[in-house]
Amino acid sequence: MSHAIEFDQKAAWQGGQSPFRLSYGKVFMWFFLVSDALTFSGLLCAYGFIRHKYSGVWPYAENVFTHFPFVKAHVPLAYVGFMTFILIMSSVTMVLAVEAGHRNNRKGVTIWMFLTIIGGLIFVGSQAWEWYHFIEGSEHGALRQVWDIDQQKYVEKVVHGANMTVNEYAVPQFANFFFFITGFHGFHVFSGVVINVVIFINVLLGTYEKRGHYEMIEKVGLYWHFVDLVWVFVFTFFYLL
Amino acid sequence: MEFHDDYPQYETMYQHDEAHGKKIRTKLWRVFWLLLAITLVELFVGFNATKWGLTGSGFLKVFFIVFTLFKAGGIVLVFMHLIDETKFFRYIILAPYSMFIGYLIFIILVEGTYTGYPENKTKMDPIYLEQQLQVRNSEHHKGQPTKEVDEMMNAAIQHGYVRKNTPIEGEPHE
Repeated sequence: MSHAIEFDQKAAWQGGQSPFRLSYGKVFMWFFLVSDALTFSGLLCAYGFIRHKYSGVWPYAENVFTHFPFVKAHVPLAYVGFMTFILIMSSVTMVLAVEAGHRNNRKGVTIWMFLTIIGGLIFVGSQAWEWYHFIEGSEHGALRQVWDIDQQKYVEKVVHGANMTVNEYAVPQFANFFFFITGFHGFHVFSGVVINVVIFINVLLGTYEKRGHYEMIEKVGLYWHFVDLVWVFVFTFFYLL
Repeated sequence: MEFHDDYPQYETMYQHDEAHGKKIRTKLWRVFWLLLAITLVELFVGFNATKWGLTGSGFLKVFFIVFTLFKAGGIVLVFMHLIDETKFFRYIILAPYSMFIGYLIFIILVEGTYTGYPENKTKMDPIYLEQQLQVRNSEHHKGQPTKEVDEMMNAAIQHGYVRKNTPIEGEPHE
């Protein structure tokens, strides 16, 4: 973009300035996000490994995630698609808030930040709803070997829904990875909403107006886009593949 | 007393005026529509994968992964403004990440195949083998190919990990 600063590569490392042309806060937000991305990538790689180990009995997502609110019909993946749409939408409102911040436009930042927070809340709520249906399971259930603590042996039992040791969809690892990866991501979204709310209050109070710049919006924006980025991968590897 | 050094004010460096902002907004919305279109195509293919007989195929995996990487690029480069940063900073962010994850994926693909062979899959708890049979027979797995599980069970019987027609009474596994 043309507002990029004139930059002399040779003089960059000779002191007196940041060689990255970035403030301390933004650089370290990026470093944090790299470490967080490594964590998520590690989890997804582990998921891929286990999935291949149990490839014969791993369920197809369209047979598991078939519910949609207020509709009785069998609509595979529709709700996850909706969640993805919400998150991309809130990502674009966030980047528009950042853009408004670059113009020191307090009203614009307020409106776009508000919409971002609403999007985040809808997403977290959707994930709770999804978990509820995953844990409740279907009416027919499935036959599983379940450890009986009184008899001290495995007994056959019809299992509905999922918990950490047994589930009706597939081998236990399926539910374990679902709970851990979507849970870890959901926790990130939740923290993102909390941070967004704090920043939103600061915008309302005029903290950044007084400071003369809205760089804080950029920093939380980076985090929020990262959450969206992770969801893009979770969506692909968990629901599509 | 307030401290001021003579460093440049990086916080205000990226500010721009209304006319320029309009151009940036157009670009952002364009990227958004692109991301949305890709997601809709992905969902459409995901819906119809079973109907078209593509489920689990290599083509579908490559298709989804390429589109996902494309979306990730849009988010990181445009929404997170990484493309506007200095070249040095771009590499500082992308190079270590790519190196670590590239190595992890490489080592999983190369060494992880060990567990993919039927005779190695059987070196599991008998209770897991039994569970896999049950999983295969359950409602959620209608229409899925069973070849792999059959192969695995045959190998298990051959190697004596599980006897045919014997009810399995497992010990709790650690």
